[in-house]
Amino acid sequence: MTGTTDAAVLERVTKRYDSLTAVGDLSLRIRRGALFGLLGPNGAGKTTTLRMLMRILIPDEGSIQVLGEPLNERTQDRIGYLPEERGLYPRMQVRKLLVFLGALKGLAEGEANRRARDWLERLQLADWSEKKVIDLSKGMQQKVQFIAAVIHRPPLLILDEPFTGLDPINAVVVKDIMLELREQGSTIILSTHRMEQVEMMCDSICLINQGQNILHGELQAIKKAYGKNTVRIECSGDGDFLKQMPGLIQSVNHFGAVVEAKLRPGADPQEILKAAVDRGVRIMRFELMEPPLNDIFIERVSDAHA
Amino acid sequence: MRKLWLIVKREYVTRVRTKGFVIATVGVPVFSIGLFAFAIFMATRETDHTLKLVILDSSGGLGARVTQGLNYKLANGQPEFSVVKIVEQPGSDERAREELRSEVSNGQLDGYLLIPGEVAKGGPAEFHTKNPGDFGVNEHIGRAVSDAVIAQRLHDRGLQIENVSEVVQGVELKLVKVTKQGEAEEKGQTFLVALVLAFILYTTLVMYGVSTMRSVLEEKTTRIVEVLLSTAKPFHLMAGKIVGVAAVGLTQYLIWTLTAALLATYGAAMASAFRPGASFPRFHIPASLLAYFVVFFLCGYFLYASLFAAIGASSSNEQDAQQLQWPVMLPIICSMVMFNLVLRDPNSTASVALSLVPFFAPILMTLRLSAQTPPSWQIGLSIALTAVTTVGVVYFSARIYRVGVLMYGKRPSVVELVRWLRYS
Repeated sequence: MTGTTDAAVLERVTKRYDSLTAVGDLSLRIRRGALFGLLGPNGAGKTTTLRMLMRILIPDEGSIQVLGEPLNERTQDRIGYLPEERGLYPRMQVRKLLVFLGALKGLAEGEANRRARDWLERLQLADWSEKKVIDLSKGMQQKVQFIAAVIHRPPLLILDEPFTGLDPINAVVVKDIMLELREQGSTIILSTHRMEQVEMMCDSICLINQGQNILHGELQAIKKAYGKNTVRIECSGDGDFLKQMPGLIQSVNHFGAVVEAKLRPGADPQEILKAAVDRGVRIMRFELMEPPLNDIFIERVSDAHA
Repeated sequence: MRKLWLIVKREYVTRVRTKGFVIATVGVPVFSIGLFAFAIFMATRETDHTLKLVILDSSGGLGARVTQGLNYKLANGQPEFSVVKIVEQPGSDERAREELRSEVSNGQLDGYLLIPGEVAKGGPAEFHTKNPGDFGVNEHIGRAVSDAVIAQRLHDRGLQIENVSEVVQGVELKLVKVTKQGEAEEKGQTFLVALVLAFILYTTLVMYGVSTMRSVLEEKTTRIVEVLLSTAKPFHLMAGKIVGVAAVGLTQYLIWTLTAALLATYGAAMASAFRPGASFPRFHIPASLLAYFVVFFLCGYFLYASLFAAIGASSSNEQDAQQLQWPVMLPIICSMVMFNLVLRDPNSTASVALSLVPFFAPILMTLRLSAQTPPSWQIGLSIALTAVTTVGVVYFSARIYRVGVLMYGKRPSVVELVRWLRYS
């Protein structure tokens, strides 16, 4: 039953290295067509999980299904993978390298060649296609690596920190391609520490910590469960007045120009607005919202450690 | 299989296109041909003019005999030597020598020959010249003096001999190697064939082994290995690398062998054209020896290359790899150290025992095979042991490779390596 609607299903997956359990009893379901955020602090087991999906590592226990089949060579060819640690042959020509990697994923060499040219054109690397990888800047190598992950139009695309090393312009290009691929039906697993990206792009997430799934579901539903318990205020002064209301406010997060305050359960945000006006603070913006993913992340992870 | 082929192809094509490969492949034959031609040129070169000599004779009468002996002719019919004068002097005269020295140095003379009195009792004669490197000239003068001294000695014992060379003509000892196939004249080929085969094995195992190791390490440090592992099996990656490197090596050997074959054919013809009568030993390598060589070559190559690959995979940097490679290099080097031991007595207990040890067998069994055919059971056992060991080593290396390429940081201990073998 899982085969038709899920792009990936992990069932009670465990991976141990000697005494260390990198992933323990992890179950996970990724819907087809999702843009799925895999989150977790450093060392949580994200890379191990992704490597198991790629069949680079074999789980000690549990089962994994990808695109409706247990992992095998065919599933491997239908996944695109951008590892966190980038790697290309430094002394190979860019286009030849892409043709080689495309052919390994099952493309005919002529087809791989044609696609490599198109992609290089699209990512403004056409002039560099006959150069050696080593002659490219880091950002350009990053784009080449991205092409290598998508050249075979994989139904499942795994991207580990795809935006690191990219300038804002290229980051937008890559983001647009990701959304376009999803539009065409690909499922994307995005692993990153950049919460605002997950918040803006992903429709479902999984937060893992110490190899355990501690939060899993549709992003909207998760945020809704927390309710609109946060106010974001842009005002004159440094928002110090918020600290004088411990009865209403649980915690304050300063960002410089904006302040975010988490309300105590049952607190009326109107009271805060009133207090600000009473103290003569000028309010430019006052917004009642769901907690940012960042806060949820920090809260869940520190709860898990407590 | 398609992926394995792609990996082999990439490895082969990128390597064959490097400058290093082109330089080594073209450079070695060009250099060898150059050296060969130079050697032939030097060996067959004759001075094209008559050499003017003075003989300084303190021996009392040998000068005239030596002059008689220097009756060689140049290719153009002119005499090779012309003795300008013989200076008879009882003792050593520094002033006369000084004069001759300056005449040689300003070119009036080509050289002077000093025959001291002790020459009859075995003392040396001296030839002073600006160009002491002309072997033809040196040999002729040496023979003339020798013959003169021998004739003098015989004369002193009462024998009057006209042509000394004929009398003192030595006897050549021909060596004939007896094999199952029959007998073949031996002119040092056995030793040479053994040396060449062992050397090919040794350099291939070390050079291409280390090359495989470096290449694995490079894929690991550049981190491309993770991208590759997401598509191909670790075993295919390792095997593709080893086979690709082997194909590069074979290409190189093929080019070299063809050059050598051309050299042997045309070189011999060329040499005999320069110097009629120059004979080259015929190299006859039996087909069975070649077949065994190929078997041991392949076994040895896969045995060591997979070990080198595992080392590359277990290291995180060049230094670690260099330290780890020693235990693997050691048996190869030991095989070469035992070269003489085995070749001198290929059927001694030590030779037989060593040639059965899988890590030594590729080189040492090839040596024994090239010296004389060992009993079939020994060949069979050696091949069987080596093949089984090779399969086992490839299997374990692949397991270490699989885990190692994803492990970064400090060099693994032996305990850790053993633990890696058990990872699923």
